[in-house]
Amino acid sequence: STPSWWWTKFKQACDNINIKINTTVFPAATDSRFLRNNGYPALGFSPMNNTPILLHDHDEYLHQDVFLQGIKIYCEIIVSIII
Amino acid sequence: MSNANDELAVQHFVDYLRIKTVQPLPDYEKAFEFLQSYAMELDLNYQKIQVGIDRHVAILTWLSTNNSQQQQTLLLNSHIDVVPVFEEHWKYSPFGGEIVDGRIYGRGAQDMKCVGIQYLEAIRRLKLANYKPNRTVHCLFVPDEEIGGLTGMNKFIEMDEFKQLNVGFTLDEGK
Repeated sequence: STPSWWWTKFKQACDNINIKINTTVFPAATDSRFLRNNGYPALGFSPMNNTPILLHDHDEYLHQDVFLQGIKIYCEIIVSIII
Repeated sequence: MSNANDELAVQHFVDYLRIKTVQPLPDYEKAFEFLQSYAMELDLNYQKIQVGIDRHVAILTWLSTNNSQQQQTLLLNSHIDVVPVFEEHWKYSPFGGEIVDGRIYGRGAQDMKCVGIQYLEAIRRLKLANYKPNRTVHCLFVPDEEIGGLTGMNKFIEMDEFKQLNVGFTLDEGK
């Protein structure tokens, strides 16, 4: 099938900055389920590579370099979608 | 850190982590004060919309320069609340915003205050680089995701104020 415009643009942005994407079916547990149920396409994405998963755990942290790299990744994705 | 924008981004992240939006009694009002002043700083439109008793959403909007009303918008969603903590198990205070060896500690550092700040700091940089958006971007901050979203996103999505956003595509947390 033909990919949607938003997936094409999202993927293009990731390719531009050489980030590898593993796509998975998202667990139906976050707010994006309400969006999808109402017909709004949604991707679940948090730019946190090289980070132990500590959601809901103690000593939850994010390294500042990963955090700052994430801003650059969003710049690329947002530009791809809105410009 | 290399520059002033990086320092600003980390400082805003730390400030947001220090606001105790922890279930079951999140301090949402302090978060909305923070977001409103953030909107002013970035010159974004700010709306605070009531979705239930003591429950609101905030929308920080970067308006398109394209006048076409039909152009669908980009929605960048994040939730404000975080899950509870067992503070005695933490090496550093979960609401202290401490940075140790480059690691920014705090409840919400991954889920998902990082993402809310990253959206806004990305917009700061694009504005500084003089980008002109062809689509409007809405950064939406919602309550109560961690308790199922029924009193947050689930309410808001049924409202005219949501429909008026004319959303074409959305990003939300992943892992």
